[in-house]
Amino acid sequence: MNLKTAAKVTVVAGASLLFLAACGSKSNSSSTSSKQTATITESAELPTMDLSKSTDVVSSNMLNNTNEGLYRLGKDSKITPGIAKSTTVSKDGKTYTFTLRKNAKWSNGEKVTAKDFVYGWQRTVNPKTASQYAYLYSGIKNADQIVAGKKPVSTLGIKADGDYKLTVTLDKPISYFKKLMGFVNFFPQNEKAVKQYGSKYGTTSSAMVYNGPYKMTGWKGTNLTWTLQKNKDYWDAKNVKMSSLKFQVVKDASTGLNLFNSNKVDDITLSGTQVKSYKNNKNFIARKSASTFYVEFNQNDSNKALAKAFKNKKIRQALSMAISRKQFVNDVLADGSTAAKGYVSSDLAKSPTNKKDFADDAYVASGVEYNMTKARKLLNEGLKEVGESSLNIKLLSDDTDGGKKSTEYLQGQWQKLSSKIKVTNQNVPFKTRLQRSQNGDFDTVISAWNADFTDPISFLSLFTSDNSYNNGRYNSAAYDTAVNNAEGKDANDTTTRWNDMVTAEKQLMTDQGIAPIYQKTEAHLMRTNLKGIIYNTAGSQYNYKYMYVK
Amino acid sequence: MRKYLLKRIFYLFLTLFIVATATFFLMKLMPGTPLQNEAKLTASEKASILAQYGLDKPVWLQYLVYIGGIFKGSLGLSFQFSDQAVSYLIGSRMGPSMQLGGQAMVVGVVFGIILGAIGAIRKDTWADRLATVVSILGIAVPSFVLAILLQYYLGLKLSLFPVAGWEGFAYTVLPTLALAASPLAETARFIRTDMVDVLSSDYIELAKAKGLSKFGIVYHHALRNSLIPMVTLIGPLAAALMTGSMVVENIFSVPGIGEQFVKSILVNDYPTIMGVTIFYSALLCLLLLLTDIVYGIIDPRIRLSGNGD
Repeated sequence: MNLKTAAKVTVVAGASLLFLAACGSKSNSSSTSSKQTATITESAELPTMDLSKSTDVVSSNMLNNTNEGLYRLGKDSKITPGIAKSTTVSKDGKTYTFTLRKNAKWSNGEKVTAKDFVYGWQRTVNPKTASQYAYLYSGIKNADQIVAGKKPVSTLGIKADGDYKLTVTLDKPISYFKKLMGFVNFFPQNEKAVKQYGSKYGTTSSAMVYNGPYKMTGWKGTNLTWTLQKNKDYWDAKNVKMSSLKFQVVKDASTGLNLFNSNKVDDITLSGTQVKSYKNNKNFIARKSASTFYVEFNQNDSNKALAKAFKNKKIRQALSMAISRKQFVNDVLADGSTAAKGYVSSDLAKSPTNKKDFADDAYVASGVEYNMTKARKLLNEGLKEVGESSLNIKLLSDDTDGGKKSTEYLQGQWQKLSSKIKVTNQNVPFKTRLQRSQNGDFDTVISAWNADFTDPISFLSLFTSDNSYNNGRYNSAAYDTAVNNAEGKDANDTTTRWNDMVTAEKQLMTDQGIAPIYQKTEAHLMRTNLKGIIYNTAGSQYNYKYMYVK
Repeated sequence: MRKYLLKRIFYLFLTLFIVATATFFLMKLMPGTPLQNEAKLTASEKASILAQYGLDKPVWLQYLVYIGGIFKGSLGLSFQFSDQAVSYLIGSRMGPSMQLGGQAMVVGVVFGIILGAIGAIRKDTWADRLATVVSILGIAVPSFVLAILLQYYLGLKLSLFPVAGWEGFAYTVLPTLALAASPLAETARFIRTDMVDVLSSDYIELAKAKGLSKFGIVYHHALRNSLIPMVTLIGPLAAALMTGSMVVENIFSVPGIGEQFVKSILVNDYPTIMGVTIFYSALLCLLLLLTDIVYGIIDPRIRLSGNGD
């Protein structure tokens, strides 16, 4: 064999190897089939299936569809039937009595009983479990003390009365209590399964039990694909139409697009650059999330001149008015996100009286207005009032793509506002940003808040003067009173409570305590034949129970 | 030889110990906690959760606990994958990375040797120039650019291979090719340079004079001698490939370890950072040791113990 032949042989062998491999790949176009299946991409791994430990979006979506609590959240976070068949609430709003349905079953064959709720809740608040969402139990009798390790878990305000009657006692009325029950951390847990799997519980799809519309298969704990299969033992199985839903983790946006275009997947998330070219695609949808990005001004700045400046309302307003939210979201960020209407995000909650969206009901135009002329005037007046001739501001944010775009844009706008302002950008990793924010080690910072549940209070409780996450130390007695009334004396009166929250938001915006910039929106391509997916902006966002392929 | 090996293994463990210690203390300098929901927890809630994990103790004590754990054979539990054992995480994530790395290594080295040999034998002809262009491209084009091109053309446009995923051999072809380009180019360049040298040496002239076939000369005399220095190249190359390429794994949605490592640093997943670092270091040390041993076996001029025993 001479060298030429050797080379030829290699080339042919190589080519045929590639060919053979190509034959091995079956094409299974999921979108063209009329079968009730679909493939959805996720942009992050599934970290856990333990109901007490879920903190992220992926696990909460998976748990929400494989398990069920007292209620299931429907469209606009409306309560739809879950394990609870009927509910009575005491007059003072502090005692809830649930009657459970008798036909709910776990996938290990056991019945879902009131004891499962007691066990699951006690497990979550137990300090030993180290649940990072145990704080949501605050307000349920003794929860705070139990989480802090000061009372035994058995004192938690939940009691099983036989197998199908459950009583929950609260320290104070919680008006959004029923919505909370749709949150996965409040779902029941089967003691037998938790004990049986021990330290493995929730770490793979087989070391877990299910009582929801779907059962999970194929998740080995760290892999990038898994499947939700229709759970035949689910009490309402006749209303579940999908036979299976496959999930594939795709972290690279162009890979997602290639998979979508080759009909391998049916729902993908688009990146900023892709949004521009797919905005008019028939499969394009924008999903708002209850997540607002805003600027905090450090009124307690170690730089005394800046602290004084940021305590001045006119200066805060000037800096806010120099930001064109529209230009920023459309031309700079361009990932589908929308300009903020205020601090509380849009599409979160609707007024109990006139059905108006909270963000519209509490809208204060000046809070998110863009007006350079007015801004300059306010700035000059403000600087005069505090006796400063110039401001040297550091602007802190994440080192992500969005973080960098935000700081660059704001830097440009603020320096355009006046030559008296000089801005230095600081883009740091997320964890560093958090720590510096909490330590008050910043002049201005771009922060974000995601609501835990679809009630404005999930946002508004943040800026009371004593809240540890009020990093800029915004301080308003009127705001504090309004929030405290909503959480306290008006908690049982839906309308008054709503008005309290509107008052709070308006106060915050009129004071320009913070400068909201944008509301995070996820742009998706989803095949138009996928119907019945329920999406909410906060909490367990996706409910696939009624999903079907048309 | 035995004495040498024991000495090397001792050094290996010493190296690992130093790496583990340095990583541990550097890691503790990073701001923040490993908590996933950190942005929403108050200081006291954070403190009580951290106490459950023993992260409230002084750093030196945590260090002793950690090292003690390693001696008991435990790398701890991951934070980002709640309650998942780090050893399981590494184990299940390492497989795909190793497989891809191994395949890329074989493809790269084999085709690299062929390309390099052709270049050397056909020196200064079009074949040589083509081989040079290929190897320059292989080094100059980053693997992720190649990955995107392969995915778009061979995956989407021609539908020859799956676009992304990890469900069988067909899924490994594109990532393997993307990863193989750089070792292929390196090997080709290396072999070509080396073989040009060898081919002009006296014993090759002698072989030619004896009337041996061209293939015989190249295969038996030139290639073998050029391969010896290749061994030095293969050790680090293998380590680099097998520890996974974050970008290529991401593009093809491969459940590998490369990306996991970077993410564990970003979210302060201490046990995973430690576990993966120790694992990487051990792998690299082992490969270097193997290289040295293999070197001694194939080239008798090299004496491992240094004093000729």
